[in-house]
Amino acid sequence: MASARLAALSLGVAFGGIAAYVLLFRIAAVRNHPTIYVAAFAVATALAVLALVRARRWPAWVALGLSVVLLAAGSWFNFVMARVPTTPSVLRVGERPPDFTLPDASGRPVTLADYRGKKPVVLVFYRGAW
Amino acid sequence: MAELQGLGAALSDAERAGVEIVALSPDPNEHSQKLAEGLRLGYKFVSDRDLAVTRRYGLVHPHGGSEGQDVPRPATIVLDRDGVVRWFSVTDNFQVRPDPGDVLRAVRAL
Repeated sequence: MASARLAALSLGVAFGGIAAYVLLFRIAAVRNHPTIYVAAFAVATALAVLALVRARRWPAWVALGLSVVLLAAGSWFNFVMARVPTTPSVLRVGERPPDFTLPDASGRPVTLADYRGKKPVVLVFYRGAW
Repeated sequence: MAELQGLGAALSDAERAGVEIVALSPDPNEHSQKLAEGLRLGYKFVSDRDLAVTRRYGLVHPHGGSEGQDVPRPATIVLDRDGVVRWFSVTDNFQVRPDPGDVLRAVRAL
């Protein structure tokens, strides 16, 4: 394949990877495998290197520059920044977690123990909508 | 927020069966209220502003926030009718959340 075509393919894989991940983010199977976008950047880098081997023209250099930056940034985000250090959790299957009382959206107190004997509860700890 | 929407949608029929979904975050109450209304899901949003409860659960990610502040480790815990833990998931990568299908299976297994 010609160098320029390989360079275009490299860019296509890199940006296609980003677009696919963003568009399909709602799907748990996609969201829960963030290494997909890192792999796409690695493939894009390999294609750009191949393009450079064919001919040292500017499209190949552009593709290589972009894919290397994306690969570095994506790897850093996924393997370093998004890592949550393991902390000792008090959760044990078969045991009751600590009780709590916290205000709901209208300020009324919600006590976990109040559901006991009434309803199963799913507790979702999340980081907030930032 | 995507994981909350996914979970809410997956659990909507289980909800009718009488499961309470309690979502905890350090977000202020007014914000959670808007969120709950926007999503129109049967969630109970509670605010753990100072992360006191999150800390007691051992679910704080120190300096994990965008400004270096402490944030919760994303976690989902299924409690049975007696308030006993039957299933839980704590993530080690904040992009990754439990599959709503897994949570639903845990709820249905109660």
